Amino acid sequence: MKMTTSLNRSLWVFHFNSGSCNGCDIEIVATLTPRYDPERFGVKLVGSPRHADVLLVTGPVTNQMADRLRLVYAQMPGPKLVMVVGTCGQSGGVFSTSYNLAGPIDQIIPVDVYVPGCAPRPEAIIQGVVTAIAKLERLQGDGEA
Amino acid sequence: MIGTLTTGFGVWNPLVWLCVIAVALLFSWIIWRCGESDYDEDTEQTASYLSGNAEPAKGAVHVRAGNMYWGFTAALKSYYDKLIPLHSGIVNDYVSWFLIGVVVLFVAVILL
Ligand code: SF4
Repeated sequence: MKMTTSLNRSLWVFHFNSGSCNGCDIEIVATLTPRYDPERFGVKLVGSPRHADVLLVTGPVTNQMADRLRLVYAQMPGPKLVMVVGTCGQSGGVFSTSYNLAGPIDQIIPVDVYVPGCAPRPEAIIQGVVTAIAKLERLQGDGEA
Repeated sequence: MIGTLTTGFGVWNPLVWLCVIAVALLFSWIIWRCGESDYDEDTEQTASYLSGNAEPAKGAVHVRAGNMYWGFTAALKSYYDKLIPLHSGIVNDYVSWFLIGVVVLFVAVILL
């Protein structure tokens, strides 16, 4: 039960680093600064996947992180989306030939939104969030809650 | 006794307390109802979140009372290293240690 329907558009995001070089993570922090201020739309990072609507994953998935990524995804309540930020998560990027790779991310868990770039600019990340909001509303409309 | 007890320090009435508890329970229930209801029971969604790590068995994370004086045993490690092997669990050994102790004590008392 939601207290008011006005909270429906708030998107709470859980950030998961599955082995990135930290470049994408720095851009995510830049996105959260007052210059872009996504919190005015209710978009904020949360500390637990159990409170999140979106799982934001950066980096290719290393062998060590694959099971943890599956578990974190399983712990999110529905409806949920997965957003990949950075080329690494889409194809492995500069790490694609590494011996220690279980990814890319869509080989581990289903992905809904891709934000390409190495690293993507904050504007691109915000565009990805907007796409995620539209898809989440569609899922809620379909009753996949 | 349902009556009100008045002392020099305050007032006690069980009915008032029952009302307070009922109101507190009502508020708790309202807050609980406002929570996230999309969890699937008996899945990972209701399991503890431990940064993506699987939850260890309860016995594996048990903090024993001995952990409280860990520093003490660490500081006296050389003493325990020698003492623990002597605790063989065989009564004959303990009786032997006892007899040796008594003999040493006896000799010491006679000589001094
Ligand atoms: S996409 Fe580029 S910036 Fe992002 S984690 Fe990979 S290498 Fe780093």
